[in-house]
Amino acid sequence: MRIIVCVKPVPDPRHWNRMSLHPTLKVLVREGIPNVVNPLDRHALEEALRIRERYGGEVMILSMAPLFSLSILREALAMGADRAVLLSDKAFAGSDTLATSHILSEAVKRIGPFDLILCGNQTIDGWTGHVGPQLSEFLGIEGISFVKMIEGFHFEEDGTAKAIVRKKTEGGYVRIEARLPLLLSVVKEINTPRYVTFSGILEAERKEIQVMSASDLRIDPSQVGLAGSPTKMADLFMPEVKRRREVVQEKPEMASKLIFEKIRQRGLI
Amino acid sequence: MDFKLSEREELLRKTVREFAEREIAPRMEAMEETGEFPVDLLKKMGEIGILGVITPPEYGGVGLGNLARIIILEELGRVCPAIPMALQVHHMATHALSAFANEEQKRKYLPPLAKGETMGVVAVTEPSGGSDVAGMKTSARLEGDRYILNGRKCFITNAHASDIWVVIARTGEGGKGLSAFIVERGFPGAKLGRKENKVGLRGAITGELVFQNCEVPKANLLGHEGDGMNIAIRNIVETGRPGMASVALGILNAVLEQAVKFANERILYGKPISSLQMIQSHLADIYADLEISRLLVYRVGWMRDQNIRCDAESALAKQFSCEAAARSARKAIEIHGSYGILREYPVQRLLRDALVTIPAGGTAEVARLVMARQALSLVK
Amino acid sequence: MKGEVWVYAESTERVLHEVSLEILSKGREIADSLGGSLSAVLVGRDLMDVAKELVSFGTDQVYWLEPPDSNFYPGVHVVEALTELVKEHDPDILLLGATSVGAELAPKLAARLKTGLSAHCNDLKIDEQGHLLQVVPAFGGGVLATIVCPEKRPQMATISPGVMKIRRNESRNGKILRREMPLNGKSRVKVLDSVKEERMEVSLEKAEIVIAGGWGVGNKENWQMLEDLAKLLGGAVGATRPPVDEGWAREYQMIGQSGKTVRPTLYMGFGISGMMHHMVGIQDSEFIIAVNTDPEAEIFKMCDFGVVGDLKEILPCLIQEIKKGRSEREGF
Repeated sequence: MRIIVCVKPVPDPRHWNRMSLHPTLKVLVREGIPNVVNPLDRHALEEALRIRERYGGEVMILSMAPLFSLSILREALAMGADRAVLLSDKAFAGSDTLATSHILSEAVKRIGPFDLILCGNQTIDGWTGHVGPQLSEFLGIEGISFVKMIEGFHFEEDGTAKAIVRKKTEGGYVRIEARLPLLLSVVKEINTPRYVTFSGILEAERKEIQVMSASDLRIDPSQVGLAGSPTKMADLFMPEVKRRREVVQEKPEMASKLIFEKIRQRGLI
Repeated sequence: MDFKLSEREELLRKTVREFAEREIAPRMEAMEETGEFPVDLLKKMGEIGILGVITPPEYGGVGLGNLARIIILEELGRVCPAIPMALQVHHMATHALSAFANEEQKRKYLPPLAKGETMGVVAVTEPSGGSDVAGMKTSARLEGDRYILNGRKCFITNAHASDIWVVIARTGEGGKGLSAFIVERGFPGAKLGRKENKVGLRGAITGELVFQNCEVPKANLLGHEGDGMNIAIRNIVETGRPGMASVALGILNAVLEQAVKFANERILYGKPISSLQMIQSHLADIYADLEISRLLVYRVGWMRDQNIRCDAESALAKQFSCEAAARSARKAIEIHGSYGILREYPVQRLLRDALVTIPAGGTAEVARLVMARQALSLVK
Repeated sequence: MKGEVWVYAESTERVLHEVSLEILSKGREIADSLGGSLSAVLVGRDLMDVAKELVSFGTDQVYWLEPPDSNFYPGVHVVEALTELVKEHDPDILLLGATSVGAELAPKLAARLKTGLSAHCNDLKIDEQGHLLQVVPAFGGGVLATIVCPEKRPQMATISPGVMKIRRNESRNGKILRREMPLNGKSRVKVLDSVKEERMEVSLEKAEIVIAGGWGVGNKENWQMLEDLAKLLGGAVGATRPPVDEGWAREYQMIGQSGKTVRPTLYMGFGISGMMHHMVGIQDSEFIIAVNTDPEAEIFKMCDFGVVGDLKEILPCLIQEIKKGRSEREGF
């Protein structure tokens, strides 16, 4: 089984409280905050490694990120992936999810045939969950999000294969049968990612990371980056977190009515 | 010179930090309560490579070296200093075997130690004291194909949790009359004595090993008869002291984090107390202690990896960082005010942990003796 | 077409999802401010009743795509059918719920239409040029960004459930436009079955609602009311140290310096004074409600809504109130 796992470096959520908003430039100041592999992408990688352990094959990491993210890919390799491709080009900067998915799809087409693409269901920074489904759309394959379990694969005599997966829904899950090639975006319930081992770190130092630029992918720069992104960020701001400090002294009946109303307003009833 | 950690070392740090925060932090409450070492974590730590970090790959380890070991112990210590305390002694056992054992002994004992299937100790200290190695009383008498050991070792880290003991005992007179033995816990006459109830580093077991006509096969002599003193000293200088220093370094990391966190959260006079210069002065002192200790300890790791002798540097790193940890923990408690003495806040535990590091692996006074010897030799 | 707002309406077993009603309410507001109309898109079998409900809710048009099979997966075929429909009518805005279906369908559709999409919006506004301003959370809600899609149409967004208010508007007479949706060829995806799962007991760290109690709860019997309330709301119960020491709560329920850190949408503290070592564990909660008999309690300085009163009297009333609210809603 040839599996591609999409990985995004994201600022370590443990340091988010150190991030601030530049007052005039309207950008996030994230100096000194280390990057980590997007948490859900590690679940995707773990699932890929388990599939490889059971069915054999190859696990490849695909990432679009600045060149300094090589160490993040090294970490994914240390977890056990076989090789990695880093898509890196100034022209890619500022890509929204649509442009990003387009770039990834061009890379997948050049990397060659695959059976499965696994993604984290969303990244912890942007939290859109778009790239998985959009990548499947650009590749003309089916994509399933919120996958919480891969039950198994059925291999037909004609060489095709089907996966049976569980997709998490609001009230439970649906069991889905889907033909390969297929893209699955996974949620954290799917597994517990393994720790990077020291021998894994040593092995990763000998694994290949291929870097590809926009011209390697024959991508028209006007289709990617800020120019190729239909969405623009108009504003960036910090939410008001000041406590409202509205304190009342009421009879129990009235008090509980008021509390009930507050809960309802938060959409929790 | 290069003070930048490599990509490999950064990745090591990251993976150990994650392991410590996810697997060890939830166990600390129980460790504080019972003083027991969570032996079930050994296997996981073995799989990651934490236990076999300085064991060569041909004997089941990963052979990453001494600086890597220090980084690992530091990270573990940042979350729970008792764990690296236990592991650093375990590493001492693996070091004694890698450096002095014969091929057969290495093949037999090192792989299970590296994988976490067994736990090791090095037993030198006796009721009469630990640093006076020559004054040791435990005896080993050759009878046929085995040595018969009699005596008592105390303040032995990991004692009741361990399986493989590297024991120094007397086979003759004076400093040249000491030998080292590999004793398995199950050997006839090998017994466990009392278990100590420590104020800090709870979760790293400290206790006694007792030998009552303990039968040790001749094949379990480590090196040659008379090598005991050299093994004990090389082991403490090259592994024990840098290990203790790393535990203290871990504590210092935690002390700084806790102090800064509290100073930023605690509001007095309408502002976080971190804006007060008196508090900032404490924070600067803690920061200095952390950074100086790190430089000293990392240097020893680097020197060891270059095979440079580091007796004085190792003693200095040990003495300075352990005292710095205690000193800084006290400052952190002062920053906390009354909150600092509540069990909810980790700073009180960090002080207790730091206090325990000071005598372990040679007191500050013994370390100073080594440093003074070096100082005196510099100028004729 | 300028001002034409579309909402993808989701239903399960012929019941419209709450989030769809929420988005329709917002959609109505936007359509009115743009002087346009509001349409709903519905995909599924035998949904006439749902389509009618959409009309009665104030939708001007309901585009209902009916597939031949009720067990279809909303994959490529649905994307294709919706793309065709969108291209035919050229709506200005297309909104979907950020649900397990909407959050997967929206990005695929946006990719097919080569238009922009924002995710998990918690606010929508129209600027002077008539562009849709989409407010989305990033970095776990620590930062908010306003997204616009100035050139491409439709402007697409998924909306988080529970953030928009439902407003009924029953004055209109909408049209229902049904159309067959062919499932061309053999589908590559098939739904085998759909399984309902009892919600497992929620862990404190992940709970959306945290009900916490302190020393003021008084005894084990009162503590049980906190448990009941949490069960009713699908939340988790947390504690300060005294209830743990007293044995009302368990060690793992402790929140604060030596316990857990929680970040729920709603935190409710009963009989909690607001000592710092508890408050550090709840400070990232989105909304804090506090109930305490002492009007001087520290927690009132750090809460969003506080009630000075006796929890022993308030809790039973509140539980009653919620049960009542529930049954009213179900009755309708």
